[in-house]
Amino acid sequence: MASVKLTNIKKIYDNNVTAVHDFNLEIADKEFVVFVGPSGCGKSTTLRMIAGLEDISGGTLEIDGQVVNDLQPKDRDIAMVFQNYALYPHMTVYNNIAFSLRLKKVPEDEIFERVNNAAQILGITEYLNRKPRALSGGQRQRVAIGRAMVRNAKVFLMDEPLSNLDAKLRNQMRAEIILLRQKLDTTFIYVTHDQTEAMTLGDRIVIMKDGFIEQVGTPQEVFDTPVNLFVAGFIGSPQMNFLKARLVQEGEGYAVDVLDVRMPLNAEQNEVLARKNAKPQDIILGVRPEHMAVLFEQTENAIECTINVNEMMGSELHLHLTSAHDDKIIVRLPTVDLTNEQRHSLSFGNKLFITFPAKVMHLFDPETERSLIDG
Amino acid sequence: MSNAMTNAASSQPKMKQHMGLKASRTIGNTMIYVLLTVISIIWLIPFVFIVLQSFRVESTHQVGYVIPQVWGLKNYTELFNSNFPRWYVNTFISALATCILQTIIVLCMSYTLSRFRFKMRKPLMKFMLILGLFPGMLSMIILYRVLKDLGLTQANAVPGLILVYVASSGMGYYVSKGFFDTIPKSLDEAARIDGANRAQVLYKIILPLSKPIVIYTLLTAFMGPWGDYVFARYISNNTAAGMNVAVGLYGWLSQDQIDKKYTMFCAGGVLVAVPVTVLFMCLQRYYVEGVTGGAVKG
Repeated sequence: MASVKLTNIKKIYDNNVTAVHDFNLEIADKEFVVFVGPSGCGKSTTLRMIAGLEDISGGTLEIDGQVVNDLQPKDRDIAMVFQNYALYPHMTVYNNIAFSLRLKKVPEDEIFERVNNAAQILGITEYLNRKPRALSGGQRQRVAIGRAMVRNAKVFLMDEPLSNLDAKLRNQMRAEIILLRQKLDTTFIYVTHDQTEAMTLGDRIVIMKDGFIEQVGTPQEVFDTPVNLFVAGFIGSPQMNFLKARLVQEGEGYAVDVLDVRMPLNAEQNEVLARKNAKPQDIILGVRPEHMAVLFEQTENAIECTINVNEMMGSELHLHLTSAHDDKIIVRLPTVDLTNEQRHSLSFGNKLFITFPAKVMHLFDPETERSLIDG
Repeated sequence: MSNAMTNAASSQPKMKQHMGLKASRTIGNTMIYVLLTVISIIWLIPFVFIVLQSFRVESTHQVGYVIPQVWGLKNYTELFNSNFPRWYVNTFISALATCILQTIIVLCMSYTLSRFRFKMRKPLMKFMLILGLFPGMLSMIILYRVLKDLGLTQANAVPGLILVYVASSGMGYYVSKGFFDTIPKSLDEAARIDGANRAQVLYKIILPLSKPIVIYTLLTAFMGPWGDYVFARYISNNTAAGMNVAVGLYGWLSQDQIDKKYTMFCAGGVLVAVPVTVLFMCLQRYYVEGVTGGAVKG
């Protein structure tokens, strides 16, 4: 239970490759923060620097107000769960979980109590006398979590703990981590490359790319107001659609010309653009697949598209469309309101029309890639 | 009907093929076993010969037959009235001390080179590789001078020998480093986060997982001094009190002694083989035991 503060943290490897640039973040006590980004973005490196497994090349790291840059991992009072579990293969599950307590010379009866308590929470009591090799992947991951749990550490670090599990087990364990978090009520730092995990688990998400923080915010914030193209594309599945467009002035306010259609912006957006004194310019327009409305007939301000692929997902359809200008667009269409006739018409080569309101439009500068409204 | 017939007809050549495969495998196996038996007999002849000679009491010189005419333990009992016990103890002490010290040094060295990243790591490894290409005998003369100045030759040869044997043991890290490299680093990291220091990681995590390699290192470290002749001969320099078994026993094969000591030499040879054989038999099973299963994902 502690806050973690990273100030200007840098990681430069011996071969002069910089893995993390100037990382600044304050993590509050009992907060669940998720580092997310594509592989090689520096998220694991940052986590390993917090753990003390990598040297910090620059900046200061504070845990609970104390600078820990030069402390050994064992003196930082942190617990960590690894992607590949890292269970000690020659020890039983019980001894694996008890290992840290034995090193701390905790009395055996207290160890017994704490190990059994953790095992009960994780549902691994019956495996306590087995060796790790006799366990399945999910069970091993529980043991790894148990090993971290008994420590009562200040900070709980997790490095892609679910990546080695199959999809079904991953969903189950994700829910269990949420429950675990409620029980442990401590500070969590979680690393993942999976934006779904990041969105569902985090109080706050730190989106990273190439060693830089792109955006920090609650899941809702990063979803609703991505500050740049990368965040917009990374968060949300399927990915946000990006279309070439042009920002134009229309009367008092602004509008967007996209695919031969002119879409006016709303009052809020107009105000921001007016404040920034925006000039007409080429932009990239981003609209999420779930924010596009599908029409079966042409109306005003609707964009005509041709159906390319129709993916049936059960409760919804993912339609891959091609515009008249050959832009690729994906829309998510809930199946529940569709008539049979409409369903049948959604096949390769058929035409349909899409439209979207001003408030779901994200405007990005093609050069800086920053959002014109939220950036 | 016709269907059944074609079925029967088609299954016959298949069966023949199957039989052929089995037969050729049997022939192959038989040939391999015959070959192995012949090789092992050739290998065993000298051992059997020595054992038989050691029980021969009718004469002490070399004879033209193999099976003793009179059997007895006289050669063994006489060994205890000679310098042999002294040599045996000398050898045992130097082998045991070398075994322990060398194993500790080799394992620490291997762990360091496997897990730590320091500036001179690669140059050091290259340097040791090149150094290892020179025969150790090259250093014999200077080693003798140094040990003589330290007073560790002749009757005091045992500590001198231990020093020589252990001195270069850090260079024998290859096998165990290779094994340590296969143990996932995340185990070290997990243990360090769990509160272990580097030494605790080594003896609580790495060594229990490396039993076969530890045993291998112990055995090779024991075997070297146990069978050494050249250095032991040179450093003991004809002083019986400082000799090991190899040097002492070889002395019995000199022209003026061989006729009196030949069968005793054989008895000594048998006794030298005993501890090594016992060691190998006890520790053999660790060679084959795989222990890393289930460490990380799988």
